[in-house]
Amino acid sequence: MTPFLKTIRWILWKDLVIELRCRETIASMVFFALIVILIFSFSFSMDQQAAHDVLAGMIWVAFAFTGMIGLGKSFSAELQNDCLEALQMAPVSRGTLYLGKVAANFAFMFVVEILLFPMFVILFNVDVVEDLSLLLVVFSLATAGLAAVGTLFAALTVHIRAREVMLPILLLPMVVPVMIAAVEATKGALNGDPLSLYRPWLELLAIFDVVFTIVSFWMFDFVMDA
Amino acid sequence: MTIHRVIRHVQRYQGWVGGGAALCLTVGLYLGLLGSPPDYYQGEVVRIMYIHVPLAHTALLGYTVLAGGSAWYLWKRDPIIDNMCHAVAALSACFTALALLTGMIWGKPTWDTWWTWDARLTSFTVLLLILLGYLMVRTVVDDLDKAARYGAVLAILGFVDLPIIHFSVEWWRTLHQPQSISMRGVSIASGLLAPLVVMSVGMSLLFSYMLMIRTQLLYLNRLLDAKKGRLLHQFHMSKADS
Amino acid sequence: MSMTAISCQHLGKAYGHYQVLHDVNLTLAPGECFTLLGPNGAGKTTLLKILATLQRPSEGHYEMLGMNGQTDRDALRSHFVFLAHSTHVYDDLNARENLAFALALRGQRPTDHDIKMALDRVHIGAFAEMKTRHYSAGMKKRLALARTMLARPRILLLDEPFTALDSDGTAIMRDYIGERLSDNGTVIMATHDPEQARPVTTRAGRLRHGTLQEIALDSCVRRNDGRDMQPDDAFS
Repeated sequence: MTPFLKTIRWILWKDLVIELRCRETIASMVFFALIVILIFSFSFSMDQQAAHDVLAGMIWVAFAFTGMIGLGKSFSAELQNDCLEALQMAPVSRGTLYLGKVAANFAFMFVVEILLFPMFVILFNVDVVEDLSLLLVVFSLATAGLAAVGTLFAALTVHIRAREVMLPILLLPMVVPVMIAAVEATKGALNGDPLSLYRPWLELLAIFDVVFTIVSFWMFDFVMDA
Repeated sequence: MTIHRVIRHVQRYQGWVGGGAALCLTVGLYLGLLGSPPDYYQGEVVRIMYIHVPLAHTALLGYTVLAGGSAWYLWKRDPIIDNMCHAVAALSACFTALALLTGMIWGKPTWDTWWTWDARLTSFTVLLLILLGYLMVRTVVDDLDKAARYGAVLAILGFVDLPIIHFSVEWWRTLHQPQSISMRGVSIASGLLAPLVVMSVGMSLLFSYMLMIRTQLLYLNRLLDAKKGRLLHQFHMSKADS
Repeated sequence: MSMTAISCQHLGKAYGHYQVLHDVNLTLAPGECFTLLGPNGAGKTTLLKILATLQRPSEGHYEMLGMNGQTDRDALRSHFVFLAHSTHVYDDLNARENLAFALALRGQRPTDHDIKMALDRVHIGAFAEMKTRHYSAGMKKRLALARTMLARPRILLLDEPFTALDSDGTAIMRDYIGERLSDNGTVIMATHDPEQARPVTTRAGRLRHGTLQEIALDSCVRRNDGRDMQPDDAFS
């Protein structure tokens, strides 16, 4: 394995080990999402049909906001004992650090999404298609987009005042295309529509992922390096 | 640090730019409000277009300058470029907000609603949010270098995102509202075109003029801070020696 | 090998209108240990952070081992260790994992034996499997020292290396600095306690209001005694 991949793997390993020991990030994300679901059910007194119509939207509102918690924590956790400084002084390219963090953030967000999706289906009592593999494709593409931009912005906001507020303020407008495409594609996948109907949205997500992983990879230099 | 040579050039030419802006805007407003015929479909209401469209064009042009300047700053790290970016962002945000506002005023008589999730209105709203986020970052980061770097990164990311946002929003609208009235559907008669062009040029000149003034202001402020620092330092040293 | 390990020319750093460093010039040869004295707020940490590539100077430039501090940052980073005031330790990893991760980022792969030796040398070998959350401040500092030992840097930047350490820890730290120096390493050490730094120091300088003045070793020690904490030093 090249040193490049090794560094990415070490960062991923470090974040996963710490998470497995503390379960802080994933637990708070799931807990927060449960509250969001609860509020949704209060806000709209829904019958099954209405729930079915807005399910995709609710899912992505919950995922985006829980994702924000995970992204914020991924860098604020590095402030303990100033570990972020150690990362900044590491003799590896900043892009490697970025990809390692993106991998970890993607893992956390994806796990939380997998845990939350059944809860949505059960609590809102909706019928969904049996084959969920396409839904997983939608989730992973959209989550990759959120993680690609989100990781950069989390690094950017970690040192500034009011970072908990600034991260969503900066991130959400940027990921408008991801949210639109994710909701539309999720709708299609949940309804069991033919793939050709929502395939363009998947392509849009894929393009967003590629473009913003490359741009953020390059920009991470300027965020992390003084 | 001394007065930047760019500032010297700017000071020499800014009067011409300001005068050009005043001239173009006066002529454009005259042509638009009095010298051109009312629109066949929209009547007198169409005249707000001569404000709205130039504002929107200039805001987009400003954003392009912001992204270019940001890339340049990250490359060369010239402080005056950063001051220019900061000024451009504030002005672009104002122009975007005004474009949205005039768009809403135009929308009331034409679509009979202040607001519709039209593709253009939506993507301009997102643009405004990105610009406001940029300005917020610049105010909450104390370290000037850091604020400049972070701002530049945000601006470049937003610039890459802009076409994707516009494309996705437009696509989403056509899916949900295929019969949506399009502002662009109406072909512009040549009588309406001349004032539009003059107004667009005038608005861009106005933007440039304000940009020149604001950049100078920010840069001189930076010089002042540096000078203050040197004086304070000398003062401390002289006190320490005595 | 070049004859200068570190050279700073006209380094300056300003935060807005506050000038933290002003025209700092310093040239160090391999085998030298430069002790940086000065009251709180004099700019010691800022100077070290600039050398450690954590901040950019607003004026001037510096070189380390012939590498430019602005342009060769990636290459430069594998040649120094900055032992900062904070320990750069992950509280939820144990000592062994902390070392393995930190060294892996430097592209090094210490064996379990190496790690054990390093931990034993700083006398925390018995706590190798304990989460560092339960460590005391001194133990964390020792762990950071063990990390530095494993990294074997040619340049060592130390910010208040003796704080939080007991007399045993201080002795280990001093031994290690001496060892680096005899191995032709270069050390810059910021401290407000010149007595502890004295045995290893070869040159010393004093920062006041961001200006560096080189001073004779003996005079600095005497002059500095008991003067450091006077308020007029820091704020005058």
